[in-house]
Amino acid sequence: MVTVPTTSLEDEVWAALQSVKDPEIPAVSVVEMGMIKAVEVDGQAVSVTVLPTFTGCPAVPIIKEDVTSALARVSGVEAIQVDFTFDPPWTTERITELGRKKLKEFGLAPPTGTGPVLITEIGLPKVSICPFCGSKKTRNENAFGPTPCRALYYCEDCRNPFEQFKPV
Amino acid sequence: MSASLISMVTALADDELVLGHRHSEWTGFTPYIEEDVAFSSIAQDEIGHAAALYALIGQMTGDEPDKLGLGREKSEYRHAVICERPNQDWAYTLARHWLYDTADSLRLETLEATAHKELAGLITKMRREERYHLLHADAWMKRVAGGPVEGRTRLIDALHDAFSEAMGLFEPIELEEDAVKEGWLPVPSGELRIRFAHKAGEALDSLGLPTEIRSRLDQSAEFVASSSGDLIADGETHEDGVSIPSGLGGRSGEHSSDFDALWDDLTHTFREVPGATW
Repeated sequence: MVTVPTTSLEDEVWAALQSVKDPEIPAVSVVEMGMIKAVEVDGQAVSVTVLPTFTGCPAVPIIKEDVTSALARVSGVEAIQVDFTFDPPWTTERITELGRKKLKEFGLAPPTGTGPVLITEIGLPKVSICPFCGSKKTRNENAFGPTPCRALYYCEDCRNPFEQFKPV
Repeated sequence: MSASLISMVTALADDELVLGHRHSEWTGFTPYIEEDVAFSSIAQDEIGHAAALYALIGQMTGDEPDKLGLGREKSEYRHAVICERPNQDWAYTLARHWLYDTADSLRLETLEATAHKELAGLITKMRREERYHLLHADAWMKRVAGGPVEGRTRLIDALHDAFSEAMGLFEPIELEEDAVKEGWLPVPSGELRIRFAHKAGEALDSLGLPTEIRSRLDQSAEFVASSSGDLIADGETHEDGVSIPSGLGGRSGEHSSDFDALWDDLTHTFREVPGATW
């Protein structure tokens, strides 16, 4: 979670991170995805610890580059350190409310929250809400999709196939 | 830096890499398109897990992850022999996928208690992804075991071959005793093998599949050594008439000839174009 910034440089660092998107989901920033574990500002040195979303996600090296160049554009930052860790593991619960809203606008059904959900034999919600028309008359077609984080659904109402962000 | 920790993580990473490579061979060729997506995605997960595990080893040894994954000689790989077997048909692919992911879920569950904190975090992450692999395999086993005769018969034949070879996944790793003593490996391989045999056996019973599938289990579970003392990969009968179960030896780098072509393919670009990035 975003903590209350204590210095203005830290403010600017968070703002810069807000401009970094997951290249596979360009609508949502790494901050909204809950991928930023920690930001440390020590004088002019900034270190950021990032949690990869999926282990095999090919976007990770690109995100590292993008975070580094976004921080390099912040005036007053002289040294940049970007680390990735699996401790704690990133989970879909880390995606912020705004992030979920943006996922939906992007056409990707956000991961379902808590509460009773009927789960199919392949571990996914039986019904997902169609991000295009809002219908619940949908069915799961595949637990896997074009990227590690997506599952495939079909909407019986607007007859669109759509993708659901997979809960992990 | 602990040699036994590296040995343990290498075995795990090599299993994921080699089986991930086999799964990726289905891209473009599965019986129907949804499975093309599924196997390609599972392959990407497995290879991604291998890459993360090699990166973890690299943090300890200073080696590049790509070099660990793609820059070793055949005998330096420590995956179980079952991972390198060709895909054969859809039935064998499903049988192996199910056996592997059943075994993998047991092993990862216990590895969350490893003494290495960063590894434990990675294992937790892997488990959340692997869960979908096992559910996918379970659903297919149910579908084929309860389906028409031809598919069911093919599945039973495939399980005959694959079940005993799956025990090779629980062959002790090199420096096993140290790995247990130092807290990296919370449950010894032998104990995991017993748990796996029970769990997989019960699942086969509940699917109504014949118990003969497990007929070679007790024999192979003992890990009979050859006369030279090495565990060997291909099933053979030695001069003393003792039959050596197949599928063993992978954890000490003894692979079957099936690994030759796979290794050529897997490491080709790395060998031909040193330093290539992709």
